[in-house]
Amino acid sequence: MPKSIAEAAVPGLDPLAALHGRLLNVSRMATIGEMAAGVAHELNQPLTAIANYAHACERLLGRPGVDPDEVREALRQIAAQTTRAADIIRRLRAVAHSQQAEHLPVGINSLVEELQELMRTDASLHGVDLTLDLAPALPEVAADPGQIQQVILNFLRNSLEALGTHPTGTPRVAVSTSLVDGNAVRLMVCDNGPGLAPDIVKRVFDPFFSTKENGTGLGLAISSTIARAHGGTVGYRANVPCGACFYIVVPAQSHE
Amino acid sequence: MFVVDDDEGVRNSLRFLLKSVGLTTQTLSSASEFLDTYKPSQPGCLVLDVRMPGMSGLELQEQLNVRGAVIPVIFITGHGDIPMAVEAMQQGAFDFLQKPFRDQELIDRIQRALELDGRNRAALDQHARIRERLDSLTPREREVLALMTRGQPNKIMAAELGVSQRTVEIHRARVMEKSGAASLAQLVRMVMDLEADRTGH
Repeated sequence: MPKSIAEAAVPGLDPLAALHGRLLNVSRMATIGEMAAGVAHELNQPLTAIANYAHACERLLGRPGVDPDEVREALRQIAAQTTRAADIIRRLRAVAHSQQAEHLPVGINSLVEELQELMRTDASLHGVDLTLDLAPALPEVAADPGQIQQVILNFLRNSLEALGTHPTGTPRVAVSTSLVDGNAVRLMVCDNGPGLAPDIVKRVFDPFFSTKENGTGLGLAISSTIARAHGGTVGYRANVPCGACFYIVVPAQSHE
Repeated sequence: MFVVDDDEGVRNSLRFLLKSVGLTTQTLSSASEFLDTYKPSQPGCLVLDVRMPGMSGLELQEQLNVRGAVIPVIFITGHGDIPMAVEAMQQGAFDFLQKPFRDQELIDRIQRALELDGRNRAALDQHARIRERLDSLTPREREVLALMTRGQPNKIMAAELGVSQRTVEIHRARVMEKSGAASLAQLVRMVMDLEADRTGH
């Protein structure tokens, strides 16, 4: 490990843990960067609506016999679209908010639900149909919420990008949660894209391995690291009849 | 006026803006909804979002082209959709605007698109009328028409068709009468317009 990175890390922390933390942060920022284009597009919608209403008001007010109710309606819409824009920014900030790794008791479903809006936006921008299938009454897991959400977003990104190259049919992604062996919780992201070629499966979680033109090759590697830090695992299996499934399994919190 | 955009806020704001300049707009939330309701005979102009879930704006344009719809399409695109906009222009879009846009820019383009639509429809109507008239020609008259548009004199026509010059003159008169053309030049022009129509301009 290069000394400079260890030295640059927070003093008093185990250098390896510090490096790990920095890597997670870099990967979180990379995910945010990838999402930025989508967010920019999404923000453009309320901005366009606001501009249209404002221009219309200007025209209406420049005319004799203006109907105040009509102008009032436009102003109400402007306020509503502003709230909408603020919500988009708040959602992004929630993901960007850098947290120290801290394992708290959390429900995996609520982590998915928090991301729901963001995932739907991202999916719809890619013309992808997103469905959630969350198992009820799952036990809680001890986890860092931000890190687990990062894994979910990494899986989703991969699926959306894989579906971009998918020639036919309605592109779909399903995010599901389930109980495994009664003592662990699994979160799985499945798509109906081309899936992985057999020779790639073994290497897909390796750092710096990527089949994408501009891929960092870090998304799945970091996801794997995060899973291990939670005493869990990540994995891949082919979807039926086609596509890929990536999953993370985290042990349920033991009740002592 | 038609506006197709999957975003409710954008859609409603466009309807409001266009109403403020006296344009009545029908708004639709998806490309397929538009295809279900729109009849190519309806005049107007279509403001279309490039990027939509399901059928994209580009795919809708393709469908309209296939159905022979002449309605001018103004694309509105988000940030970073420029390659799509270029493709739309290559496929015959009237124009495109990047969101958010200045109202005057949109309104100017819509006015120009509506003028173009009016001209296109007038031309189509005229072509339909001409086609109807030329369809009423007998096979022999059609042969005479073909020779006339090639500028053949009556004498040559008579020899080619194996009839007398007098008969050719009678056929010529009927062709002129049925087509409604005021001169040979106008007749040639009519036939050329229809040819251009058939070969897709």
